[in-house]
Amino acid sequence: MKRARSSEADEETPRQNGSSGRRRGVQQHRGNEDDEGPGLGAANLQDDDIDPSLRREIRSKYRDLINSVQQNREDMLSPSNNKLTEVLEEANKLFQDVREAREAALDAQLLVVATDLGKEKASQLFSEGAAFDPTAFAEHLLSFMGLNRLEDEEEELQNGAVDGYLPQDAWHRVAKRAESCFKTAPAFHYMMGSFHAEPPPPKQRIERQRKVPGKEAKRMMPTQLKKMEESHQEATEKEVERILGFLKGYHQDDPSTPISYYEFVIDPNSFSRTIENMFHTSFLIRVIINGVAYFCVLAPVEEGEVEAGGSASRKQCITSISLKTWKELIDAFDISDTLIQPLNTQNE
Amino acid sequence: MTQRKRLSNTQISSQSRRRSEVAVAEEEDGDLTFTQPSTSQVQRGLERLTSAQVDQKTAEVVQYFLVKDQKKIPVRRADLVKHVLKDYRNVYPEIMKRVTQSLDQVFGLKLVEIDTKNHIYILINKLEPAEGAPLDNSPTNPKMGLLFVILSVIFMKRGAVKENVIWHTLKKLRVDPGEKHEEFGDVKKLITDEFVRQRYLEYVRIPHTDPIEHEFRWGQRADLEVSKAKILEFMGELHNQEPQSWTQQYRDAHSTPNSTQASTSSQR
Repeated sequence: MKRARSSEADEETPRQNGSSGRRRGVQQHRGNEDDEGPGLGAANLQDDDIDPSLRREIRSKYRDLINSVQQNREDMLSPSNNKLTEVLEEANKLFQDVREAREAALDAQLLVVATDLGKEKASQLFSEGAAFDPTAFAEHLLSFMGLNRLEDEEEELQNGAVDGYLPQDAWHRVAKRAESCFKTAPAFHYMMGSFHAEPPPPKQRIERQRKVPGKEAKRMMPTQLKKMEESHQEATEKEVERILGFLKGYHQDDPSTPISYYEFVIDPNSFSRTIENMFHTSFLIRVIINGVAYFCVLAPVEEGEVEAGGSASRKQCITSISLKTWKELIDAFDISDTLIQPLNTQNE
Repeated sequence: MTQRKRLSNTQISSQSRRRSEVAVAEEEDGDLTFTQPSTSQVQRGLERLTSAQVDQKTAEVVQYFLVKDQKKIPVRRADLVKHVLKDYRNVYPEIMKRVTQSLDQVFGLKLVEIDTKNHIYILINKLEPAEGAPLDNSPTNPKMGLLFVILSVIFMKRGAVKENVIWHTLKKLRVDPGEKHEEFGDVKKLITDEFVRQRYLEYVRIPHTDPIEHEFRWGQRADLEVSKAKILEFMGELHNQEPQSWTQQYRDAHSTPNSTQASTSSQR
């Protein structure tokens, strides 16, 4: 069986241009096997012939070669190196171990890529005049741009570029040199800016000035105001609560008797405090606490009775008091002492 | 005899009416089709306008061109008619004639129609670049340096290169289309989009390639603006060789003088 196969290969040889040498190599290889043991047939296959990991390795190496030709195409084109020949030699070595169709197909693909490159290299030879090598061009251009090569010039980066750093204005240098090759219409721009540039700046300045004092003043204001407001609010609330306390207290003392409004609020010693007491008490007029409502006569009323039609009807009135009235009330009610003790605080 | 004359007269007038009707209908379609008004239409149009109006309109068109040229994007006739000419479209040829004159004599610029089918215009400098340092202190645009490199490679490769050649060369110059460049930003976009729109480059697909490959050629603007001889001179300086040593490229640079291949609008 092997011999038949090798003879087939023999017939195929003339068709393969340029690869007859390699085919012959394969034939020889197979010939050796046959010498070892005629008639053993399939069992004579060497282990590494069917070893899947080796197959994979070969295929992967082929793919690497194909990639390297494609990626480094320009490098390989350069007449200054023999990289293409090296690739072909590498491929020859790999081909020794090719057994399956898949690997052979990759080998064929590599040949296609390599011959395409070879064709281009050949056309370079036939063109008259100097060759143009973009890589060399780039090297020269880097020097022109002022590449500062590092002292250790043997250092080379992966892609073969020379190490070093380009100055900031590298591309400006190229652009400057290029300018003389272009007949570009100069771009149209106003020379000195718009004539309407004057008014805007002053406006901005004024706004800025105004903003600054405003901010500061505002900053100061809140802190002051806050203090005052706080004290005001606190004072009012505290006062109202205090009075409520008095009211409750007096009511507890004598639950059956309602407290007369005027007797409650009037402070015979101070008219102003009387007014304050009236002010604070007015907050309590409609307050319902614990289901108990306080109203003008200052007696707790059951909530149910506050409904319309109940004995305690809701009324609103505006009480005013003048100094004269105050005095008259004091006499009328015979108020000798204040029911609401004043605070010994700054509310005076 | 007179009857025949009268008949022929009516025929002519009805024909011209039909033509102008067609022209109007096409204009109403939106400026997709703007038909060139005939000379007689132009004459009639001019009669209805004062010279001050025509001058004003000419000045507006000139300004439109100058401003549009800042970005080097070509001007389309359709846009010009829609945004500037408007009611003056019937005297379009006369306006354009004056515009060309004005740009030429006042600004030293040449108005060129680079696409006669789609009517697209660009402005180029009528004057050769000055020897020595340029008079204006405008800063150089580094993009021009990049463009110059690409155009040089294409020229030295006799007019067309596979895109990989360009990317490979630029990589050697520390310009990688896959990375954001300090100076140029999105390099691939700059080269395949901006330069192409400005008509400096052509980026065409090579048929039957898989994966898709493109090739770069000089664009119409480059053909008009860039001097091949001067590029070759620069090559000689860089490589320390005589420009003539590249015989084929030398021939390319000096056989076709840089006159425009497209018609100038004044020929209209």
